[in-house]
Amino acid sequence: MNDDIILRVEDLKKHFQPHQTFSQSITGQKKRKVVKAVDGVTFDIRKGEIFGLIGESGSGKTTTGKLVMKLIEPTSGKMFFAGEEVTSLEKEALKAYRRKVQMIFQDPYASMNPRFKIRDVLEEPLVIHKLGGDRTSREQALIKALTEVKMNPPEEFLGRWPHMLSGGQRQRVATARTLILNPMMLVADEPVSMIDLSTRAEILHMMKDVQRELNLTYLYITHDLSTARYFTDRIAVMYLGRIVEMGPADMIIDDPKHPYTKALIDAVPEPESGKVDVIKELPISGEIPSPANIPSGCRFHTRCPYAKPECSELPEPELEDIGGGHLHACRRWKEI
Amino acid sequence: MSAKDFGFWLRDFWNDFKRERSGLVGLAILVLSVLVVAFEPLLLPWGEVNTKWRSIDYWQDNSASAPPAWTNAFRGEKLAVTTRLQPGKPEELELDGGVKTVRYDFSYKFSADKPPLDIIVHGLATGDVPVSVTMERPDGQVLELAQRFEQGLQDSDLRISLDNEGRESAFGFVKQFESEEALASITPDAIRSTDIIFNEGRAGMATEFKALKGEYKLSVTAMLLDPAQFKYEKPYVAVSGAVSGVLGTDNMKRDIFSGLVAGLKWALLIGLLTSIVSVLIGVFYGIISAYYGGVVDTVMQFVFQLFNGIPVLPVLIVVSAIFKPSIWFIISVMVIFFWVGPVMTVRSMALQIKEETYIEAAKALGANNRRIIFKHMAPILLPYSFASMALSVPSAIVYESSVSLLGLGDATIVTWGQILHDAMQGSAILNGVWWWIIPPGLCIAILGMTFAFLGFAMDKILQPKLRTR
Amino acid sequence: MEPILKVEDLRMHYHTSKGAVKAIDGITFNLMPGETLGLVGESGCGKTSMGCSILRMPSPPGRYEGGKVVMGGRDILPLPEKEVRKDIRWEEISMVFQGAMNCLTPVYTIGKQMLETLMEHRPMDKPQAEELIKEYLGLVGLPPEVAQRYPHELSGGMKQRIVIATALFLKPKVVILDEPTTALDVIVQAQIINLLKKLKKTFDLSFIFITHDLALEAEISDRLLVMYAGKIAELGTNEQVFGKKGPAHPYTERLLQATPLLHKKVGSLSFIPGTPPDLISPPKGCRFNPRCHKVMDVCREQEPPLVEIEPGHQVACWLCAKK
Repeated sequence: MNDDIILRVEDLKKHFQPHQTFSQSITGQKKRKVVKAVDGVTFDIRKGEIFGLIGESGSGKTTTGKLVMKLIEPTSGKMFFAGEEVTSLEKEALKAYRRKVQMIFQDPYASMNPRFKIRDVLEEPLVIHKLGGDRTSREQALIKALTEVKMNPPEEFLGRWPHMLSGGQRQRVATARTLILNPMMLVADEPVSMIDLSTRAEILHMMKDVQRELNLTYLYITHDLSTARYFTDRIAVMYLGRIVEMGPADMIIDDPKHPYTKALIDAVPEPESGKVDVIKELPISGEIPSPANIPSGCRFHTRCPYAKPECSELPEPELEDIGGGHLHACRRWKEI
Repeated sequence: MSAKDFGFWLRDFWNDFKRERSGLVGLAILVLSVLVVAFEPLLLPWGEVNTKWRSIDYWQDNSASAPPAWTNAFRGEKLAVTTRLQPGKPEELELDGGVKTVRYDFSYKFSADKPPLDIIVHGLATGDVPVSVTMERPDGQVLELAQRFEQGLQDSDLRISLDNEGRESAFGFVKQFESEEALASITPDAIRSTDIIFNEGRAGMATEFKALKGEYKLSVTAMLLDPAQFKYEKPYVAVSGAVSGVLGTDNMKRDIFSGLVAGLKWALLIGLLTSIVSVLIGVFYGIISAYYGGVVDTVMQFVFQLFNGIPVLPVLIVVSAIFKPSIWFIISVMVIFFWVGPVMTVRSMALQIKEETYIEAAKALGANNRRIIFKHMAPILLPYSFASMALSVPSAIVYESSVSLLGLGDATIVTWGQILHDAMQGSAILNGVWWWIIPPGLCIAILGMTFAFLGFAMDKILQPKLRTR
Repeated sequence: MEPILKVEDLRMHYHTSKGAVKAIDGITFNLMPGETLGLVGESGCGKTSMGCSILRMPSPPGRYEGGKVVMGGRDILPLPEKEVRKDIRWEEISMVFQGAMNCLTPVYTIGKQMLETLMEHRPMDKPQAEELIKEYLGLVGLPPEVAQRYPHELSGGMKQRIVIATALFLKPKVVILDEPTTALDVIVQAQIINLLKKLKKTFDLSFIFITHDLALEAEISDRLLVMYAGKIAELGTNEQVFGKKGPAHPYTERLLQATPLLHKKVGSLSFIPGTPPDLISPPKGCRFNPRCHKVMDVCREQEPPLVEIEPGHQVACWLCAKK
């Protein structure tokens, strides 16, 4: 594998089996269907890049993030980190993995124990991994992390409780918490979606600065294409547990090939005048099917305006490379 | 949380608590109880009640089943109150042959309408010591009530009951006033010395008591045949009255007030120890059951249901009957059943907390299960347990009382339940000995109520703070 | 043409233990028939409070401190609750609450819940009511079978359509929508917006559309009211705010710059430094002054008046007032 690639995910799947209750086994009711949240995902993330995973609810993007974080175990498939296979890890190896891959959560109000002071929040990773030396050197590490995320003066924030900080400040602390362990990769799951519009860019700028200074790699998970365009280097668009299109951000957004990606881009509102009386053309109908009931063939065919019988009968299309790092999974793209 | 933060939390909590009147009442009574336990030695009229509860000797100077002293306020004819007299300075007299006499004078102000039941003179004597006791009445008459000569005493308590020993003298006194016919119907053994000693000297005194009120002087004279070796010291006089103490006596002449005061610490200990230990177990049981889920949860819930379904009191009774246990054993058995109390609520809350993002974040940081349980979950749930603890105390106290009531409690200590048990055994109700039953019952009820008030007040305050976020 | 709803100098404060939170502090606007007025702002600007306040339902500890809400010629604020409930709410003004789709009771079918609301206001025979319900479900693009379903069986988009249908079936003239699409996917959001536009035309409704998403406002609102710290920063038509000339108020300007454009990449995203203002003790003078990139001395001292800089375009900024 390339020295360049920090994370490699191969045909990763996560299927959730609902339990069969006792009464169901008595009445002979069939088990509820398997929920295929992630159904065969393959991608590489290069060192130092910001890789965006775009998808709507039900796309499996959050589950993919949790798989990468190893908060849940894959049903099948492989995962490689920095050249080594990490698909299943023992306790000690898992703990070591956690030092290298960290997560920023979506809800800044819920990702910190409300009874912990900021000092305790930041110190927790050091305590868990028994790092940082004595009290003074730990204090220094905390201050360094807070300075890194531009919370000044750092000492003033250490003694506060989370509820005393704004959403943006909390996300900074959350970011600082991930940096304390000097990780190699950060998984950010909708880090700014619960933050005010006017502060969003500030947080994203901070995250980009941090990335550059510390040579980090990001897996950025979001449903918001617009911010993704400004923040990410490459994008992968997920639909119902699979990647349907992947490539450099600008290329995907300016020249999408998969009908779903096109529909997504068309549906995003733009802050421009003259649209009020326009009924937007939405060739896509209906809503995303349940991951327990995945359509046959190309899973998008039920909503695709260009679907032909072959789309539901032939096996699911794989990602096709059409040059320039642009991959997509639509059989009929040339005709559309 | 550092000490300073705890201080802030406490101050916040107190501000909320102040507004709960019932809680304040509970707190006041609790503080009072703690003070009573702390100052027990000072408050006990009978200081050795803890060790001497079952000794006959200790209580022998009391009268049995005597109502409380303050009941006199409701009587037309006042009864004599049990009391103790201390002597004035001893008077020593040198006699011929190197013999010394030592005389102690006691002053007794008799103002009741009925006489005491007995007067008992105590003294510590060594050697061969003759002792004589005389009583000078307010009307000037002097009665020589007792003469005793004991030999070979070694620092022994020389006890002279004037009722026993003063009969001859009393009879002689009566003879002065009564006619031959009246005397014919009485024998010395039939009279009570004190009925005569404190009676107005007149015809008809043998059959009717009229109090001769005033100051009575009792003199105790001991002859030291060999002053160097023989001793008579530390004398005191016990007046055995018809009414006694703050809460009277039981049929074994024990001072009930002392018994209750002594029992308070056991009630507190039983209540607090049982509740604290069992609730702590229950809280952690709930957390662990919820956190691990799956098979662990199923098994733990099953065990919980088992214990939950067993009625504590019958088991406690049976166990106590078989094993004749100590108080620690009783507490242990109660703990074994009480822990189920907070489990369900704590488990529900823990299930919620488990799903919180900050728990997931802690896992993502690499926290192990132990850290999540003890550092993240327990601190939120433990305050809830304070209320739960307070509410289990009354149950523990009542259960132990029930066990003791049945005579199965720890026989080496004094508990309120035991006092009630003795009252039942002694047919207190039948005999109208209300001061034996009502006070211990009230104590159990009040202490239980105290903790119930505290518990409800705490619950009211801490419930809203039970938000998981 | 007469406005269908007039809000005059509305003030509503939340009286908390820490002080009075001045969530709505002097808001004035008119709503014309058949128009969509967008209420936009960020957390802490008071826009959510606006919806409930217009409906005469401030959440406790909120209380009106002044102003009028005039509908059909009468001020509804001093009316007794009974009258408001009978005549105003749902009859003349209805509301689609934030997160309403999650408030559908899980134990009753959709049909039963809609029936209950309908019967509460317009007692009628059951068959009649059921017909009406089916009609409105059709209007929002749902098949009539949906009435037999339970909420958990439906998708987010479907639930939101049901909530919209419920808000319409008493034929109100004004519908307030508070973040109706925030929890929905982008494609479903576009569908709902299309639906709302159609319904507005069909029923000649007026909408008050509350959201923090400026781009969304551009697609649906005829006029825009930008709120900041409980006050109006800017009020103008869609063209005046989003058109080539750009908005007049520095806040709107920066907000627009912070809204990323998807289809054209324009440099990098900008942001507004600082934090939302404290509504208990807001900054002296213009409430935006600590974060304004065009701040002047007068801004720190005095509150700027709301000035009409061109027909239909009002701005509360010293830069415009001076001219």
